[in-house]
Order: sequence, then structure tokens, then C-alpha cells
Amino acid sequence: MSIPTSARGADASAQSGAMRAAFEAARAELRADVSRGAGGRASLERYADRVDALLRQLYQDAGPPAGPVAVLALGGYGRRHLCLHSDIDLLLLFGEPIGPDDERFVRGFLNPLWDLGVVVGHQVRELADFSQLEEDNPEFLLALLDARPVAGSRDLFDRLGTAFHVASTHAFILKSLLHLIEVRHAGFNSTLYQLEPDVKEAPGALRDLAATRTIAMLTDPLLLRRGPADPARVDAAEDFLLRVRSTLHLESDRNHNVLSHELQERASEILGYPGSEARTRVERLMSDYFRHARIAHRSLEWARRTAPVPVGPNLGLSRDGIRFLDQVQAARNPASWLGAFQAALDTHTEVSEEALSCIQQHVDRYRADDFFPQEADRRAVLRLLKPVPGLYDRLSEMHDCGLLGRVFPEFQAISWRVVRDFYHKYTVDEHTLLTIRNLERTSIANEGSRRRFQSILAGLAEPELLVLALLLHDVGKWRDDDHALESVRMAEEVVARLDLSAEQRETVLFLIRHHLRMSLVAFRRDTEDPDIVKDFASFIGTEDRLKMLCLMTLVDVEAVSPETLSAWKEELLWRLYVDTYNHLTQRYGDELIERNQAELDHVLRRRPEDLSEGEITGFLEGLPQRYLQLFSRDAIYRHVRLARDIKPDEVHLFLQSDGNVWTLAVVTLDKPFLFSNICGVLSSFGMNILRGHALTNPNGLVLDVFQFTDDEQFLKLNGNGQSQVLHVLEDVVSGRSDVTARLRGRERSVLKGVARFSPVVRADNSASARYTILDIVASNGLGLLYRISRVISQHGCEVDLVLIATEGEKAIDVFHITKSGVKLTDPEQQALTSDLQRTLEDTL
Amino acid sequence: MKMLKAIIRPNKVDDVKDALAKLNIAGMTVTEVRGHGKQKGHTAIYRGKEYNVSLLPKMEIEVVVPDPLADDAIKAIIAAARTGEIGDGRVFVMPVSESYRIRTGEMES
Repeated sequence: MSIPTSARGADASAQSGAMRAAFEAARAELRADVSRGAGGRASLERYADRVDALLRQLYQDAGPPAGPVAVLALGGYGRRHLCLHSDIDLLLLFGEPIGPDDERFVRGFLNPLWDLGVVVGHQVRELADFSQLEEDNPEFLLALLDARPVAGSRDLFDRLGTAFHVASTHAFILKSLLHLIEVRHAGFNSTLYQLEPDVKEAPGALRDLAATRTIAMLTDPLLLRRGPADPARVDAAEDFLLRVRSTLHLESDRNHNVLSHELQERASEILGYPGSEARTRVERLMSDYFRHARIAHRSLEWARRTAPVPVGPNLGLSRDGIRFLDQVQAARNPASWLGAFQAALDTHTEVSEEALSCIQQHVDRYRADDFFPQEADRRAVLRLLKPVPGLYDRLSEMHDCGLLGRVFPEFQAISWRVVRDFYHKYTVDEHTLLTIRNLERTSIANEGSRRRFQSILAGLAEPELLVLALLLHDVGKWRDDDHALESVRMAEEVVARLDLSAEQRETVLFLIRHHLRMSLVAFRRDTEDPDIVKDFASFIGTEDRLKMLCLMTLVDVEAVSPETLSAWKEELLWRLYVDTYNHLTQRYGDELIERNQAELDHVLRRRPEDLSEGEITGFLEGLPQRYLQLFSRDAIYRHVRLARDIKPDEVHLFLQSDGNVWTLAVVTLDKPFLFSNICGVLSSFGMNILRGHALTNPNGLVLDVFQFTDDEQFLKLNGNGQSQVLHVLEDVVSGRSDVTARLRGRERSVLKGVARFSPVVRADNSASARYTILDIVASNGLGLLYRISRVISQHGCEVDLVLIATEGEKAIDVFHITKSGVKLTDPEQQALTSDLQRTLEDTL
Repeated sequence: MKMLKAIIRPNKVDDVKDALAKLNIAGMTVTEVRGHGKQKGHTAIYRGKEYNVSLLPKMEIEVVVPDPLADDAIKAIIAAARTGEIGDGRVFVMPVSESYRIRTGEMES
């Protein structure tokens, strides 16, 4: 549309008259095309161009804006598919905050358009608005994908593109689009064979074609070339549908898109279908419609099926596995690579060859730190190492493309390393990865003798530490001498880079340093000898380490060669595990911390200034020795401080969270029902107790340490949650409030249908010199510990030590109890265990 | 010749091997076996549940020795494998009438 330059600067009405004339001329031209049955893509594009020119003129006439402005065509107009009565969707984009002058400019631009009777769908935005993704308006984001600059600053349009076209936005739009398609199709009962189809919205109609192109644009521009229909046929279908839509607009003289029976007759005539009778012409039109709609529909279905589904930033899931949506971006961002492997694990697929090649091509440019620059990335490395099905395959892919050796250069040292001995059948790197495969298989072992090890694995709080230890246990084999020590030296660098906590570091290094110890004891020592087991138990110290070392031994031996782990060896290992486990859980009450003990010395020597020797020994003496192995020095000092000046009925506590898991340390003075009251209070807040220890020293000082998840997010949602818990604990411990009442409503609601297997209750007087040991295995549920310990207290027993553990749905608790200071008699044991059994079965 | 079949504790294999080596007895077959004699296994308890461990892991060592060496070899095995507790094992002695070397086919006396 050309507007005579002479009009510019003339009076306003002459100007608007010229514009109206030009606009009407453009519409007349389109009408004429449509009437000839030629309202397809070419004429719609021509019409869109004429409107573009009109807008450019208006932009000029509105006067120079105060700052940079761009006028962008969106949606169908952006695609230049502008029908006679289509809305003209525009975005007026401002580079800077919009001021009064800009508002004047907007009015000057839009008012004449409205005067022309054009239906304008407009958005006025600042560029800064696009720094954050507008998740609540996916339709607008979709329209933006078709944005096309019409007038104003081209630079601003480019800057919008940079802000808008990022992988995460694309992923979000794709997800939204797939959802919108589903909803739209459902509105048509998901069939394209409509007698009166909506040529814009129905399945197989124009929106489907646009969606297909959008999916391709967001995922793989070459997608359409591989589709079920030749691109030319897709184009032909689009042209046909546009021609039909144009006739509908012409005939109904409004934005009407339903090809009704009545309009079918008119359309078939306009589109020039042969036939003497209207019926014949309509039939031919409709059969053409269905033919084209089917192509559109199939293309979209194929694109939906084939296109990568966004599974993370710049990551898509396609038929050949996880792909980078934007390889150029991926190549620049090595911290995102591990995400591809995590996504593959999460979606039970592999990483695509294409992504692996991309990594392989660029991996040498980066150093270990580049892969986990942030705290969140380091956590992601650990998460990746959780033993789940597929981990071996993913690690092998990482190794093959060179990534594993870059993330862990220590591992690179044993790549293809051959060590000749009589036993090993694989290179050191493959042996290492096979240990992880064996662990992964153990994690899903459902039958046979391996199942018992699976239950050990299920009970580990941080199995990823075991995998990290496995990954590094043999890295020292790049040298020929004592490899375990060299492995530890190298692993120290890894755990420092990963910024593991002190406890995590110690666990990993302990496992690596002693990875041969358990097989030595199990296969070469007389494990029938109680002293051998006792020594091994005191060397190991905690059940967690025992579990990890046992699994490490199992999978390490198994990875030597297919024959190395015989059923015979597995049995020996299992027996050593059970004997040591029993020793650790049942006899630790007999071995108490004494003055002059080396470990105690260690704690005393490094004590902080605010703690005196007397204060520490007063707290520690008489506690089980395992206390020193269970807790870090910092935790010990914290407990000593908690015990300071404690008075009857007082409760001192310390609460901290690490991710989802909270740790609560409670110090108070012993009294009947204390343990059950504390557990009851935690349950009354909806806390799910996962593990813990209850310890009592000879002076009646009680230290309970619980780890729990805050399933109802009480602590997260309540700023003063910690002090609320403390108040309730003090009230309940001092007897001012009754925990049973607090729990009543909750117990009823959770007890229905929670139990999944019959509980085990067993009392034993032979394991420990001082205590009756009560082993309880039951379905975990809210308030379980409270119910158990209440029954024990009701029987007049003292609860001195408790070990709390969970394995999935299973709670495993070991109580060390006495009655009036001595072990329970047989009748007392029987009365207690049958009462407990009844209590636990009541919850079935 | 005598064949000695010794069922011993797994942790005693190296001791027995060393003791036989001192008598210049080098050839032997070692097998991982499971079984029970008077020891009859025992009940292991894990997490409150009893597990009956009836077949215990043992090692079986087979050696064939010339008749004059048999007594010393038996004594050496017993001395090396003994702890004095139930479960130390057994030594069985069987006559061997002929023995052939497969590589050459020749009979050894």
C-alpha cells in the first residue's frame, strides 16, 4: 500500500482519508482474490505486506518516540497469514521504561487504526518485562515465537530475541503447546472428521499446521523433512485451508471459521468445484478438506511423537535418547552436561549419540571445576551417583565420550589400565564400573540370596557416597605399589573439589582406605571366633559403615571375574555382616567411655575454649564408646554445651536441617516415659523419624538425636516452628501437657491400612552383659516409636539406649532396657513382647 | 599312594598349604564347599528373626601323596587346621590304585 508522500504534513483528515483509501484498496484487492477462489497464502501475504506498510506510515506519523520502540507483528499476522477479518496482533515494545511521552506515542499510533475499524490485539511492553518468563500466559509466548518486526527499532527486536529465545523458555513453551493442543483437540472429541469443521481450530485445521511448525522450530528444524508427508504436501494443505478460511470470512463478513453446511455450498462454488448440483460440489470440497486435514493431523501427531520432550534446561527426550536442544549453547556450558545423564537416568533412557558426540568434541576444553562451578552443581554430581538402574550404562557413556575422566581426572589415570594377576579379568576402569553395575543390580534384586543385600542397600541414607567410593577405590592402581593408600590420596582431592561435608569425606575415605578389609576378615579369618568379630566391629564403629563396606566388598569381589563371587563367599560375607551388625547394635551398651581412653583424649585436646575438660568428661564418661564413633567432634561439643546447667524438667535442644532431613538433638534428665514422650511430640507435629540414637549416661543425663523429615512442612512454614517444638517438648516432659491427647486425632488418621507386613518383636538376654535387648522390626508409620516405647515404659522398664533405623517402609529399632536396673526375667520378657506384638498388630 | 581329603575352616587354607609345602607336597586341589558334621550349623539371628544356618562354608583340600609321606601329611594338616573348637573339620584317607598324567599318558606310581 503506498501512501502518497504529499499526504505527510498535510492536515489530519486528509491524511486519515488517504490512509483509509489505501486500507480499503488493500481489502478490496484481497476480496477480489478470495472471490476468485484465490485467497490462499500468496494473497494473504500480500495483504499482510500492505498492512505492514500502513503500520509503518502510522509509526512515522505518530512522531518520533522518546526512546527506542519496535512494532512487532505477532501470531498469524507475524506469519503473514492475515485473513480479511483476522485480528491484527501487535506488540509495541519499548526499550526503556514507558513514560508519558511514550503513552502519547502509543495513542498516536493506535487511535488511527481503531478509527479505520481494524480489530487490533495489542500488547504494550518494556524489554525488561521479558527478563522473566511469563508462565501464566503461554498463548502470548506462543504468539511471540512468530514475532516479526514491522516498524521501529530493529535492534530492539534483536535484543528481544536474545532475551526470549533461550532454552528454558523454549522448553516451557513446548510443554505448554503440547498441553494446549490436547485441550483444543479434546474440545472436538479428538477427531478431524467433523461435518461442520472449524478450519482454524479443529484437529487437522490451520492451528495444527502452525503447531507442527512451532514444534519443529523449538526442537529440530529439520523435523518436518522426516515427517509422514512431503513438506510440499503440507504446504498445499495449508494453502487449501487458508483459501477455505478466506471464503468463510468473505461470505460471513466477519471472523467466522466454521465451515457450516450452508457455507460449504458457497465455498465450493467460490473455490470452483465442478458439478451441476450443489451436493456434488460440496462433497468434492469436503473430501478435499478431509484429505488435507488428514495430512495436517498426521504431521502434527508425528511431530508430537518424535520431537524431543523437554526434560530440563536445554535438554529434550527424543526417540534416540536425551539430546541437547541447542548444541551451540550446550558446548559453551559444560556444567549442563551432567544434567543430560541425570535426565537419561530419570527417564530410563540413554544419552543420544548426537549429544555424546557434542560432549566428546568439546570436552577437552574444560577442567574438572568447570563441570560443577556452583554448590547446586556439586550436589547434582552426588545425586547422579545414586545407585539406580542405568547408572552403569550412563557412567560408561560418560567414560567413552571422555567426560568421566575430565570430571574425575583421577579416574582417567586408570583408563584401560592393565594389572596382571591371577584373578582380575578386566581393565581397572571397567572393573570399577562393573562394581557400580553390580550395586545397581543389587538395588533391584528381588529374589534369591542377593535380596538380603538389597535390604542393606535400601537402608543406606547416602548410597551415593558408596558409589563415589567405588568409583575411586582403585584409582591408585595407576601405580604398582599399595594402591589403597594412593587411591585415598587421590580421592582426598576429589572430595575436596566436591566440597563434601566432613562426615561425608570421612565415610568415602574410610571405605576406600579399607576396601579390602572385610573380604580379608570374611574369607581369611576365623569368623566363628567372637574376638575376631568384636575387633572387626570396633574397627568399623557404626552400622552405616558396616553396611557400606559389606556392599562394597560384595560388588568389588563380584567385579573381579564372573566366577570370583561364589555362593560360598557370599555366605561368608553375609555371616560376618550379621555377626558384626549384632555386635554393633546389641553389645555396644557394654563398652563405655572411660577416662584415659585415646579417643577421649582426642576430643579433649582439640576442645574449643568455652569447654573445660571436666565439662566434657562429665558428659562423656559412662556413655557407650560408639558415641565417639557416631558423632563428629563438632557435634560432640554441641551436645556438651546442650547439657550445660540442665535442670529437671528442662529440655535443651538443637535443630538443623540438611536438605529435606532435619536433625534434632535433645538433652534432658531421665524420667519414666521420657523417650516415648519425646517421640510422641515429634509425631504430633507430623515428623517422620528416619533414624536416631537415644543414649543415657550413669548420671541420668539423656541425649536423644533424631533425624526426621518434616512431612507436613511445619518447620518450613512456621517461622517460630523451632520454639513451638521446644515449648511443647518442655510442657510434655515436665508433665504439664499430655502427649497422648495431642496425638489422638493423628493416630486414628494414619493407622488405617499402614501395615504391610507382620511385625517382629524379640527379646534377648544373652547378647549384652547389662541389658535385655529388644529387637523390633515393623512397618514404619507416624507415632510408631511413641507406641512402642510407651508400652515398654508401662511395663516399668527403663529405656537406656535406643537405635532407630528405617529401610524404606520398614522400621528397625533396637532397645536396650532394664527393669529396676537389671535385665528382665523370662516372664517379664514374655509379657512385654506379647504386649508389644499386640500393639503393633493392632495397627495392621 | 593315598588321597587325603581334608575339610577345614576357610581361614586355615593358607596354613595348611604352607604346612604341606614344607613336606614338599605341592600339588593340591582346593574347593569351596558347604556342609556340616557334628557342628550341625547354628541359628543366626538378624533383626529379631532367626535364620537357620545348617550348611557352613568350609574348604576342601585334596592331595595325593606317596604312602610313606601320608602320615606326616595327615599330621601336618591336623596341626595347621586345628583350633580346638567344634568345626575344625575332618581328614579322610583313601587308597589310590593308579594315577595317570594326562599330558603324556604315562602312569605314575
